[in-house]
Amino acid sequence: MAEYYAQLIVNGVVAGSVYALFAVGLTLVYGVFRFINFAHGELIAWGAYLTLLFSGVLPFGLAVVPALFLTVLIGIGQDRYVYRSLRRRGRITLLIASIGLSYLLRNTLRLIWGSDLASFGFEARRGISFFGIIVTRTQLTMAAAALIFLAFLYGLLKFTMMGKRLRAVADNMELAEIMGIDMKKVGMTVWTLSALFAGVGGILIGIDTNLEPMMGLTNLLKAFAAVLLGGAGNVWGALLGGLFIGIAENLGVAFFSPGYKDAVSFALIILLLLFRPTGLFGLARGVR
Amino acid sequence: MDYFFHILVVALVYTVFALSLNMELGYTGLYNFGHVAFFGIGAYASALFSLLGFPVFFSMMAGMITAGAAGALLAVPALRLSGDYFGIATLAFAEVVRLFFLNERWLTKGPMGLPGIPRPLGIPSGVSGLSVYLFLCVLVAAAVFLFTRRIARSPFGRALKVVREDEYVAQALGKNVLSLKVRIVAVGSLFAGLAGALYGHYITYISPSDFTLNETIIVLLCVVLGGRGTDWGPVLGAFLVLFFQEFIRFLPIPVDFGRVVAPLQGMVYGGVLILLMLRRPEGIVPEHRS
Repeated sequence: MAEYYAQLIVNGVVAGSVYALFAVGLTLVYGVFRFINFAHGELIAWGAYLTLLFSGVLPFGLAVVPALFLTVLIGIGQDRYVYRSLRRRGRITLLIASIGLSYLLRNTLRLIWGSDLASFGFEARRGISFFGIIVTRTQLTMAAAALIFLAFLYGLLKFTMMGKRLRAVADNMELAEIMGIDMKKVGMTVWTLSALFAGVGGILIGIDTNLEPMMGLTNLLKAFAAVLLGGAGNVWGALLGGLFIGIAENLGVAFFSPGYKDAVSFALIILLLLFRPTGLFGLARGVR
Repeated sequence: MDYFFHILVVALVYTVFALSLNMELGYTGLYNFGHVAFFGIGAYASALFSLLGFPVFFSMMAGMITAGAAGALLAVPALRLSGDYFGIATLAFAEVVRLFFLNERWLTKGPMGLPGIPRPLGIPSGVSGLSVYLFLCVLVAAAVFLFTRRIARSPFGRALKVVREDEYVAQALGKNVLSLKVRIVAVGSLFAGLAGALYGHYITYISPSDFTLNETIIVLLCVVLGGRGTDWGPVLGAFLVLFFQEFIRFLPIPVDFGRVVAPLQGMVYGGVLILLMLRRPEGIVPEHRS
């Protein structure tokens, strides 16, 4: 029985590391621009579907490159053509535009690839067993890729000048601007990172299960929950939040119907809003 | 003619639905991105009561109250923080409600849906009862319209607009902001439930796929296109959007391309929402500000 729960936790950590990729991107945008991008989920789906498109002509490892490049372009385009001009118009226009954008992107995706399930066509392989816990190669890939990208983000934020700028802007945008930080550059970096992480996560989910047009929305809700857990705008909080959601979801399967797996993140959102609005880890001052 | 009546009924259902969202989004500035949840709860609750043999009018009232109570219950935790979180919580709530309809087969029959929902007043289902049902919808929509207009002009409505413009001012004026917001969400959900019940008893068959994000986007578009925070905006928006939706059916689209219609429609809705926000965020009927 202990093995059963250990297995669920391992599965949870793997899924959670991918959720962390989504949540980190979402919270980065929040930290700098102070709004929640409802179209973030569509970047996840587009990353996966574009890889599907390019893997028709290129080997899978190479197909990832143009797919991620285009995903990043979509991310930058969101800002360039929609959000930038709305930034000073108040939140309600910004949020309605972002939900409209998500709907536009999702339906464009349905138009091109249809509404049915798709897959990258990897064969399921027997997992490797460690002390009775089975880990598949896909899971190892997922965890490794998530780890590499998160380590890259850590290095960027901690050791580069751009990272310093990002943190300064997230801390106090006006002050950062006064100090001569180029907001355009920071904005570009944030959108690039956010879209890149979403795209990578989308591809990983596509390898693990399959691709469907709604994958953006379901994963967006998990990312929201993870962001709230960590305290909005807090990058490391979002990372931990993602892991937490992954584990909670997979452990939840042991107790109630798997049909409600996606409801776990909602339950967490409501519980948090009720009891710990500043986020579970209290790492950041909560954003009201 | 029957077809025209049908479109009118659906447009009136959406008028009620849009008016209910307008109370939250337009008057109070609360972005509810899961309004379809309350539409669905109203439809299911009313359908279930009537299928148990309760009179239809009683069932519709029960559906309304269930939806209103659900709205109040969600609003209390979700509104304690700023508006963005309300958007998230409602979006997530709508997904959970859909999962509930899908998974609780003992109650909702899951994806099979509920067939054979009776119409009120013994109106026969099918085309023969259409004109009477249309008349009923006109009455209900007019009543809801007058009610929302009355709310907007009452001291309560004015307080809501202050909350929308600046919460701190509202607080400084001694208003309990949370209580105002929770009450308006409860009322908004109540009328969304009424719209859902009207829909269910009209179509006589509901299933979880009737209550998705698509319906939320449509009603959001109705309100935003018509004009947020105005009396006539949501009415105008509902008629424009619903007539557009029916108009698409008459376009000479080859049968092979049938599957592209729904995504194209979604793209248009999303695109119009973005364009409106960029070019004319106040909608067709701008709010009169004095």
